Amino acid sequence: MNERKSREEGERGVAPPRWADRLLEWFCAPHLLEEVQGDLHERFSRRVALFGERSARRQYAWEALGFFKPFALKRQQREYPSPLFLHPAMIRNYLKIAWRNLANNKTFSAINILGLALGMVSSLLILLWIQDELSVDNYHANGPQLYHVMQRQMYDGKVETGRFTPGVLPDELKQQFPEIIHAAGYTGWDARMTFTVGDKINKESGHWAGADWFKMFSIPLLAGTPTTALNTPNSLAISRKVAEFYFGDPTAALGKSIRIDNKTDYQVTAVFENLPTNTSDKYDFLLNWQDCITRNPWMKDWGNNGPHTRIQVRPDADVATLNAKLKPFLRKYNKELGRSFNAELFLQAVPDAYLYSNFKNGQQDGGRIEYVRLFGIVAAFLLLIACINFMNLATARSVKRAREVGVRKVVGAMRSLLVGQFIGEALLLTSLALLIALGFIYLILPSFNSLTGKHIRLQITDARFWLMLGGITVVTGLLAGSYPALFLSSLNPVRVLKGSLKFGSGARLFRQGLVVFQFVLSTLLIVGTIVVYRQVNFIQTKNLGYDRENLLYVPVEGELTTQSAYKTFRDELLRMPGVASVSSIQEAPHNIGSSTGGVSWPGKDPNVLIEFAQTSVGYDVARTLKLKLTGRDFSPAFSTDTTNYLINQTAAKRIGYENRNRTGGPAGSPVGQPLTMWGKPGKIIGVIEDFHFQSLHTQITPLILRLSTDPGSQNFMIRTQPGQTQQALASIEALWKQMNPKFPFAYRFADEEYNNLYKSETVVGSLANYFAFLAIFISCLGLFGLAAFTAEQRTKEIGVRKVLGASIANVVTLLSTDFLKLVFIAILIASPLAWYVMDQWMQHFQYRIGVEWWVFVAAGVLAILIALLTISFQSIKAALMNPVKSLRSE
Amino acid sequence: MRRTYLGEFEEVVLLTVAVLGNGAYGVAITDELEQQTGRSVSISAVHAALHRLEEKGMLSSRMGDATAERGGRRKRLFTVTVLGSRTLHDIRAVREQLWNSILPNTLPAISI
Repeated sequence: MNERKSREEGERGVAPPRWADRLLEWFCAPHLLEEVQGDLHERFSRRVALFGERSARRQYAWEALGFFKPFALKRQQREYPSPLFLHPAMIRNYLKIAWRNLANNKTFSAINILGLALGMVSSLLILLWIQDELSVDNYHANGPQLYHVMQRQMYDGKVETGRFTPGVLPDELKQQFPEIIHAAGYTGWDARMTFTVGDKINKESGHWAGADWFKMFSIPLLAGTPTTALNTPNSLAISRKVAEFYFGDPTAALGKSIRIDNKTDYQVTAVFENLPTNTSDKYDFLLNWQDCITRNPWMKDWGNNGPHTRIQVRPDADVATLNAKLKPFLRKYNKELGRSFNAELFLQAVPDAYLYSNFKNGQQDGGRIEYVRLFGIVAAFLLLIACINFMNLATARSVKRAREVGVRKVVGAMRSLLVGQFIGEALLLTSLALLIALGFIYLILPSFNSLTGKHIRLQITDARFWLMLGGITVVTGLLAGSYPALFLSSLNPVRVLKGSLKFGSGARLFRQGLVVFQFVLSTLLIVGTIVVYRQVNFIQTKNLGYDRENLLYVPVEGELTTQSAYKTFRDELLRMPGVASVSSIQEAPHNIGSSTGGVSWPGKDPNVLIEFAQTSVGYDVARTLKLKLTGRDFSPAFSTDTTNYLINQTAAKRIGYENRNRTGGPAGSPVGQPLTMWGKPGKIIGVIEDFHFQSLHTQITPLILRLSTDPGSQNFMIRTQPGQTQQALASIEALWKQMNPKFPFAYRFADEEYNNLYKSETVVGSLANYFAFLAIFISCLGLFGLAAFTAEQRTKEIGVRKVLGASIANVVTLLSTDFLKLVFIAILIASPLAWYVMDQWMQHFQYRIGVEWWVFVAAGVLAILIALLTISFQSIKAALMNPVKSLRSE
Repeated sequence: MRRTYLGEFEEVVLLTVAVLGNGAYGVAITDELEQQTGRSVSISAVHAALHRLEEKGMLSSRMGDATAERGGRRKRLFTVTVLGSRTLHDIRAVREQLWNSILPNTLPAISI
């Protein structure tokens, strides 16, 4: 009609104001609109002729507005108004029916709600965990402009990628590139130092960082300014925790001096807020960068890498161009580059670095993001399993509600209304489940936190949290409710009410498919759990080539750093009853990170660079670590040992010796052969059998051990007699207090330190455990419900069978086989899938156990057993029923 | 019998519908009213009154013809119902009875 009108008026060229027409069409009741608008238009066209267009238009608008009166606004009531879907009476009816259905079938309702609640608990926990993982290092205001400068080193046919850069790089970058506003070095290694203020002595751990640090990162300062926080060599920035410990109050600490390692005084120039838990840089204090270079003169050399470099680029900077310019940057400064050895710089965004930390052949290759994805999938699986329970039980029991659907349809419910009703019911149940889930989460969050090492809280004040809850409820409700809703609402009312309703095999097949799907997921999780558990166990118990039990580290510091005190302390230790042997080492034996190319020997090809891992050690190192050795250990009996070396088998092979026999001595053995390291010629005095001095994710590389000349760089490694560790510790502490009173006695156990290396695997292992258990539990809940339903349906059949002579065993088998068939199919489908997934995961380990066939058999048998147990309760109950009772009811 | 109350404007509108006979619809009634009473009448007020009268059962309506100047929209044509007619008659009877009850020379003279 509108079109017609505008066409006609378009021909005449005069039309009333469009907006007024629109407004009128909007507010005027539809049944009045035609006459009202018609009258107005009639008057309008007369006025155009009489007074001209402008006046007519104005009056038209005025008159149209005049109809803004109750009579015109009020919509016409229809004679038989169909109640709105959201009409209060209907809602009340829906709620009542829903409640009656819940109350009438307590078992099924409990199974449904409990299953949904468990599914939601696990997926909510995982979502919280993922949210926390994603937030790590992602809270800096300058986040999008912050980058790690990464280095890719290519030598010996390998590509190594890491954050290690020359210590002078940050300042040089800032000078050379106008697009870099801030640049700061950061020592990747953790410094544990002794702080002394008056009589308060404690160990603190921290780092050295460039002066721009606080300008780049959003770490609130409680005292001091970002500019002055780290700008002089004796500046010291401390956390609130440290400030409160030594000075009682953050502001009181400013300007005070702290003696570090009983040697140098530093002045507190800034106090920063304790770092949030979702940060990957952990430190309680920061020292000035100049101080770091003074302490480590090797950092001035462009050829030595170690510390990290962080930069902040200008917001308008083109990172791709900067990356291209950075790539060859090091060549200008390091003339060694380009022959057998090459190095490139590139950028990685700070917020990405935590989740995407792995590099393979110089290219980004996953990292923690894989766990985030993995658990995201697990969360979805668990929720899906719970939803399937709901769908299965709802459709299986649809016979009971078919009559309700029939009656509703007869009195005029449209299909869409019924769909709405059933989905609404599912949403209601889901909300109920959500409440229970929240209660659960509140209870288990503390243990979840201690398991994952996180500090997750329910952020009730955060809108996103509620959004997440709402989202998960709606998704679950829709997922669980949609199929039953569509299925039930499709029933034919005539057939339902006549009582001749027969469900086709389609619905049953679909249900069976869902059960299979559930058990595929459960079996996947079981296999995953077993494999992860075995691998974690393999790591924890693997013979690394050295004995990490009964071994403890104590840093050499304070008074002990002089040669004579070091020697006295060592001699005293060796005299103690519980101590088996004593040595020292610069880096922990499970984590020797530094390496060098500065090793040569007669006949070495000058064009090949071989990188050797290296560290300095004390006497008796092989004996203390219980390393298998050909040749001899470093020993005080040989004064020339300071230029002698121990190498591992890989190094011997790499150099070219064939370490054929273990007795040592004869020709062909490297023992006694000359070797030059860092320009100091010496001899190989022994070859140690390969041991894992780095994470099992990486392969064993060549290693050189040299004798330390600087006790201050060392940590004592003390091997105690088995079972006497506690007594030994007590006497070591007494000795320490006597010889080194200014420093707290800080020791660490080798096995604990080692296990920390694989923390994420251990956490993943135990999480997988719990979630697999949950998955199978929820699936079994569903199975239990279905079994109960089938048993109920077949009561008569069972009664007849029993009357005709079937035994209990017959009946149980009859009821169980149907379900076991499904579980069996599920296992068949799940096994290859599980094998593929686990094989992919295992690729991350250089040293791993295989995924063996018996794992699948075990998982399968487990799944069948659990399923059988679940079903048997119902089937035995049905089989035991007295046929007189079950047949009497008609 | 309790007569339904009619407002003055409603009474006038009802009478105008009667005046117009078969052609009583919004615009015509408004024009006629303006002409007869000499006061300006808003079309929305007329519609409101018609609506109320119909609700009270004094008018009935049907849809009439469409014309071009109405943009093809139909008119709603009103006719007075029996109830409407009786009400008008009642009002008139009451008035006349009242007029007849006034003694001569009680009202001040209005003609010069």
